[in-house]
Amino acid sequence: MLEIDNLVAGYGSIQILNGASLKVGRGQIVALLGGNGTGKSTLLKAISGLIRPRSGSIAFAGERVDGLRPDRIVRRGLVQVTQGKDAFPAMTVEENLRLGAYVVGDRSNRAANMERVYGYFPVLKQKRSQLSATLSGGQLQMLCIGRGLMSNPTMIMLDEPSAALAPQVVLDIFRTINRICRDGMTVLMVEQNVRMALLLAHYGYVIKDGIIHIEGTAAELMHDDNVRLSYLGGTVANREAQL
Amino acid sequence: MDYVIDLLIIGLSVGMVYALVALGISLIYSGLDIVHFAHGEIYMLGAFIGLMLFQHLALPYVPTLVLAIVLTGLLGVLIERLFYRRLTRAGGGYTVAGMGMIIAGFGMSIVLQNIAFLVWGAKPLPFPVPFGRPLEIGNLTLPMSYAWIVAAAVVLMLGLNLILKKTMLGLAMRAVAYNKDIAYLSGVNVPLMISVIFGIGCALGAAAGVLIGPINYVQVQMGVAVLIKAFAAAVVGGFGSLPGAIVGGLLVGVVESLGAGLVSGTYKDVYAFILLILVLMLKPSGMLGVEAKMKA
Repeated sequence: MLEIDNLVAGYGSIQILNGASLKVGRGQIVALLGGNGTGKSTLLKAISGLIRPRSGSIAFAGERVDGLRPDRIVRRGLVQVTQGKDAFPAMTVEENLRLGAYVVGDRSNRAANMERVYGYFPVLKQKRSQLSATLSGGQLQMLCIGRGLMSNPTMIMLDEPSAALAPQVVLDIFRTINRICRDGMTVLMVEQNVRMALLLAHYGYVIKDGIIHIEGTAAELMHDDNVRLSYLGGTVANREAQL
Repeated sequence: MDYVIDLLIIGLSVGMVYALVALGISLIYSGLDIVHFAHGEIYMLGAFIGLMLFQHLALPYVPTLVLAIVLTGLLGVLIERLFYRRLTRAGGGYTVAGMGMIIAGFGMSIVLQNIAFLVWGAKPLPFPVPFGRPLEIGNLTLPMSYAWIVAAAVVLMLGLNLILKKTMLGLAMRAVAYNKDIAYLSGVNVPLMISVIFGIGCALGAAAGVLIGPINYVQVQMGVAVLIKAFAAAVVGGFGSLPGAIVGGLLVGVVESLGAGLVSGTYKDVYAFILLILVLMLKPSGMLGVEAKMKA
């Protein structure tokens, strides 16, 4: 579905991605893991077109999409779900969702998409005429996922859906992501919460210093010593022994 | 008392003109993050374009107004595409906040003034619209030209509100004003939307120009004073806030009119700035000032 080959990108004179490659198969949930400043967000921005890659290629559904404008990439069916804090605060829940369907021309299709989103997140329907500034963190994250789904995508990319949320809320949201995936969506998920992400994902990549460091199925990564030590809370003694 | 009501009516209608120009400035500021210093000249060009349509094509006043609004809006899109957009590219983003754009705005204002001077000359031209007999309400007489200003401005403001609140286009404009990256990720064609916002801002300025034409003469320098008043209006209302621009415009118009009528007409231009200084001293964010991030 999505194939990234040897991607190099950055901002100004700073290069952040140094040749990252990864693949996401149709219908999979793939987790992209890594700490702060490793290039996760940069990779997402390059895929969604917010920054232009310097070299390498991005292919979606068999066609090159690198260098396209972000709205064109959304039209192709690949949409990046923003973090919850990036909902439009001065718009109502419903306006936020309607905006997500900007590329959907037909009014009845927009309405159908909205019902589908309300099906996944009933709380959004209850709050549809409230300003999104009044929502809780979890609800904002749901709103942003919903806004992404409004454009009828075939693949969504999530930018740290668990950020700053209580574990119970994260669990709820991850369950819904799983449901969305079972309904036929392909998912690439950037996460810092490695344990939770690997519970959900089929396959995972660990990014470090702008290149893919480790990859494997979720089960393999769970048992990988490096991953356990660096991201799953290896003990201090272990860590010192490693050093 | 009747005299005061007359002054209020004049103040409100001139205030509507300031409000329209301020609305354009605020709209452009919220959408493009640039303070457009050539907006007075857009207002002036709108008035001249309206005058040409009215005199040479002999159009009635309403079609003149509509056509001048549309043409000036398109001219604005052209200016944005050809000039301002290059500056934003040089900065690497969609917007440039800072000195470069401000100086470019001043430059544009001088260029447009001189183009207008070459085409229409320096002499003030009359804009003679036969509005008919003044409206009589009780023992007040209200010249139709003032009634027209208020009516047309209200229609335009309601129309803008309707677009922003009810249409996908308006939703996209608000999204671009709040955050261009998130608007992009929602599938909005951001560069196109920036042109649309700039065009609508210029169209509002042109409307103001055509509306004031029949009261004042149309002349090359007319944009200079109005720009400063409109800035005062925008700041008084809260820079970047659209309701603020309207409230600020009306307030500046009324204060100016009352000051000129009741205190002294010699210092007509001073009252608006006294108001501006007072607002800046007492509530620097403006009367309806909003947090920068809530401007959508």
